Amino acid sequence: MATATAPIHATAHYHEEPTGVMSWLTTVDHKRIGVLYLYSALFFFLVGGLEALIIRMQLHGPNGTLVSAETYNQLFTMHGTTMIFLGVMPLSAAFFNFLIPLQIGARDVAFPRLNAFSYWVFILGGIFMNVSWLMAAAPDGGWFGYTPLTTRTYSPGLNIDFWAIGLQILGVSSLAAAFNFLTTIINMRAPGMNLMRMPMFTWMSFVVQFLLVLAFPVITIALVFLQFDRLFGTNFYTVSAGADPLLWQHLFWIFGHPEVYILILPAFGLVSEILPTFSRKPLFGYPVMVYSGILIGFLGFGVWAHHMFAVGMGPIPDTVFALTTMLIAIPTGVKIFNWIATMHGGALRFTTPMLFSIGLVALFTIGGISGIMHSSPPADLQQTDTYFIVAHFHYVLFGGSMMGIFGGIYFYFPKMFGRLMHEGLGKVHFWLMFIGMNLTFFPMHYAGLNGMPRRIYRYDADQGWDGFNAMSSWGSYLLAVGMLIFIFNFFRSRAAGRVSGNDPWGGSTLEWSIPSPPPDYNFAKLPTVTSRYPLWDVKSPELTSDIPHTREGDKDNRVKVAGSDTGANVHLSSTDRTHQPPEAPMHTETRLPSARALGIPMPLSTIKPLLVAIGIVIMFTGMLIRSHEISAMAAAAGQGSTMLSTIIIVAGVVMLVGSLYWWLLSPLEEHH
Amino acid sequence: MLRLRRPLMAALTVALALVLAACSQEQLPNTTFNPRTEFGRDIDDLWDKLLFWGTVVFVFVEAALIFVVVRYRRREGHPEPKHVHGNTTLEILWTVLPAVILVLIAVPTVRTIFRSQAEAPASAIQVNVVGHQWWWEFEYPQYGFKTANELYLPTGRTVSFHLRSQDVIHSFWIPQLGGKRDVITNRTNYLWFTPDSTMGSDVWNGFCAEYCGESHANMKFRAFTVSQEDFERWAAHQKSGPVITAPAAPPGAGTPVAGAPPAAAQNPAPAQPAPADGAAATVAVSSPTLSQSLFPRLPEYAIPKTPIPQGLDFQEGLTGDVERGRQLYARTPCVGCHVIQGVSASPIGPNLTHVGSRTTIAAGLYPNDAAHLARWIKNAPAMKPGAIMPPMGRGLRDPRTNAAGTLDDAQIADIVAYLLALK
Repeated sequence: MATATAPIHATAHYHEEPTGVMSWLTTVDHKRIGVLYLYSALFFFLVGGLEALIIRMQLHGPNGTLVSAETYNQLFTMHGTTMIFLGVMPLSAAFFNFLIPLQIGARDVAFPRLNAFSYWVFILGGIFMNVSWLMAAAPDGGWFGYTPLTTRTYSPGLNIDFWAIGLQILGVSSLAAAFNFLTTIINMRAPGMNLMRMPMFTWMSFVVQFLLVLAFPVITIALVFLQFDRLFGTNFYTVSAGADPLLWQHLFWIFGHPEVYILILPAFGLVSEILPTFSRKPLFGYPVMVYSGILIGFLGFGVWAHHMFAVGMGPIPDTVFALTTMLIAIPTGVKIFNWIATMHGGALRFTTPMLFSIGLVALFTIGGISGIMHSSPPADLQQTDTYFIVAHFHYVLFGGSMMGIFGGIYFYFPKMFGRLMHEGLGKVHFWLMFIGMNLTFFPMHYAGLNGMPRRIYRYDADQGWDGFNAMSSWGSYLLAVGMLIFIFNFFRSRAAGRVSGNDPWGGSTLEWSIPSPPPDYNFAKLPTVTSRYPLWDVKSPELTSDIPHTREGDKDNRVKVAGSDTGANVHLSSTDRTHQPPEAPMHTETRLPSARALGIPMPLSTIKPLLVAIGIVIMFTGMLIRSHEISAMAAAAGQGSTMLSTIIIVAGVVMLVGSLYWWLLSPLEEHH
Repeated sequence: MLRLRRPLMAALTVALALVLAACSQEQLPNTTFNPRTEFGRDIDDLWDKLLFWGTVVFVFVEAALIFVVVRYRRREGHPEPKHVHGNTTLEILWTVLPAVILVLIAVPTVRTIFRSQAEAPASAIQVNVVGHQWWWEFEYPQYGFKTANELYLPTGRTVSFHLRSQDVIHSFWIPQLGGKRDVITNRTNYLWFTPDSTMGSDVWNGFCAEYCGESHANMKFRAFTVSQEDFERWAAHQKSGPVITAPAAPPGAGTPVAGAPPAAAQNPAPAQPAPADGAAATVAVSSPTLSQSLFPRLPEYAIPKTPIPQGLDFQEGLTGDVERGRQLYARTPCVGCHVIQGVSASPIGPNLTHVGSRTTIAAGLYPNDAAHLARWIKNAPAMKPGAIMPPMGRGLRDPRTNAAGTLDDAQIADIVAYLLALK
């Protein structure tokens, strides 16, 4: 196979990767947008990690003095907000973007320009929120932003405005993306790709899009109420006007708990791709995995008040939410057992992605068990708002989401960039993460149950917490070293990693049938799918002989992947079972025909989604300035004006509406 | 490395068990594993069940995972794996078994929910707790007095807390005495428990557990459990007016304001027994230093170790005068925020009627001694981030209102002497 053959189709148009800043600002290619999401989210993940590191240094010993109370409160607020909204969610979005069209055999998402818009709104929202650091007004109300603390009476500064407005901006991004992916998954599946043949990552992503569409409006409403209180003097949360602080808590957690599943289900999906690949076995109990994912998503909307067992709801609501919370453990447990059963009897290869996936199964289990421990309201009264909870959700989100996402990065890096990440460094990264994560978060269980409250910027000596905290801090330093190795590995492999070829791992799904990185049109000819594992049908039919297939009108039972005349085709040889990365030709030397040559209409690059996104952010910046003007007027006994903010808001709206019209009036693709 | 995990885990478990067994009250003073009330014990019983079943599930899942990982690693020459893609019986089994475990947890859970949230017995002592940014107000309505940041509870008698907030949401928590309950604006929450009658006089740390703003970490309190007779004595004393117990006049014999704080660590309330100044207040109680007689030496975990922030200078060698301090107090802005029974009546800050008998100031943040109190009065926001009490030191400006303080160090020393004399 190792042939750098002379260009085939000497006269055809060749696929050229566009370059230059403008090409990135105007791209509507789901894969490039996915890569943008990946880089941006990794950057924010590092920012959030740095915030965590400072937190751990402050808490290394009693009465730490590294940062002030004010800074610490900003750090833990921004750590949570960043990791959730700017780290894990967009990392998942990177995979949604890059993978969903490839896995369902589509050329792009349903609305490519809306997809670009989602990304630009996200990145601008992320920058907006972090600009608060430069203005010494980083959000300090906690990622949960409980009222009345976040109302103007108790938080007069811009801190909370940055947070509330930033989250509204990010919500626009999430909602637009969610509708886009829902439409894509429902409408754009390749022929034969019925719902029960969708790869598990696409399935879990599908569930997540529903959660986003149903959960984000709730937080948006809660934030709009808060913003109205702060800017226009309404009284949704004004306690002096008789507001009930629990209104915010209910709204927040009706969003907040499904949000947990928004963060974890994509990782579950990734692991469900990785484990079968490296076990050389189909996923155990595919239908049950689908149903349990749906059930988790559904039940996730009925458990929110378990975050509020200490607020005094009374015994009956406590009982109801305790029982629903316990119930949700059942489908989650089923997933764990099915993953283990997938590995059972397999031929396991411990590649880096596989190690991270096994890490997820091992660590998420611990997070799940501690979750059951505070599903019991009386027990939760000793656990809530202590470090026990911090331990719990880091086992879920770090041990679960991040382990899965790191596995996904190692797994899909070759598909994204055409090169493999370094396995040795990857394994060092894994073991540093695995050990560092346990060292950081396991002692927190003990700190919490021994009385250490959360969100405290210092603790006194002789409270019995020194040892647990020192262990946690040392663990976090290990995690930091692991991340440095990951970053080095990422960029080194990006430049000089081993060339991967189409299918370095022996994958089973459509994305492995096309070149790495895929051409802009993905599939030269759209595939026809006859089973859940189209590529195994071709390469290792014995693995999938028990899986239901379409037989009717489908004599040869093959994935039809076009481009067998391109020189970069699928290795359709069923003798290729070495599972070693085939020594594929350098993709730069492999001349793929361009979309134009193949007669595939592609969406045109456009700057308009970016312009609309900028308009939105200008509008919201005007709101922020309005808040500042209101504070200034209050301090100056009513003197001053809101002229500037009004002008900026109007300018933002004009830009938003103007660019949107321009966008809507321009065609998606060239006329033929 | 994977092969090592199993014995490693076992060793880890044993080690942790040993560590926990070796830990005494002194080493883990805020533990939830050693409950001292019926409420705490109910929770602990539930915890034991949760821990048991959690451990069973943990061991089972991790053992299965490790077994699979070790047993089915790919080996050269082995045939392709069998292509099992599901097994209905197994899947039903591992749906039903967890459900059964959950029922075993749910039944005692629901029972405990209803028991712990039942009405408090009518004979209970009521304590109204009011959360403030960032301190605690405790009112004993049946006895008719208020105090701050230090709670006395009789052993063997149920205490019913009625929890309210003056500003944002707080959460009232004494880990050793039971679970927490949020303290929420515009609502009254309830919590009750009975400290074990078998306990002697003891002290417990309390915390604010809900993030409530800048000094959330500095919003602590102490709970002292004492016998019912001692409690009645304490309550009667609290109800009475201020009792001045320090020498009145001669300069040099008053309360010295130490320049360096470390000396304060030993016994927080400096003993200055002296004849009461009859002109200033009535002498009504047999034992003006009740807290000291009950707790002659506090355990280390109950003595704050918070270092004084840098740059808070206080003139060396000053000796405060109680009588001058008493007169000064009445003329300063202090009276605008604090209650001293019969002297001032504005209930914004903590009640100071018996402030000299407390062991800590600033909501459990510093020991209640002259060195700390003097710096607190001089510049409270620097001692406790965000503190609403303005700096009283001359020329220091209030970060909120920009108003300047007016007292020099000598005057502050006088006020310190007066406050510490309020036993």
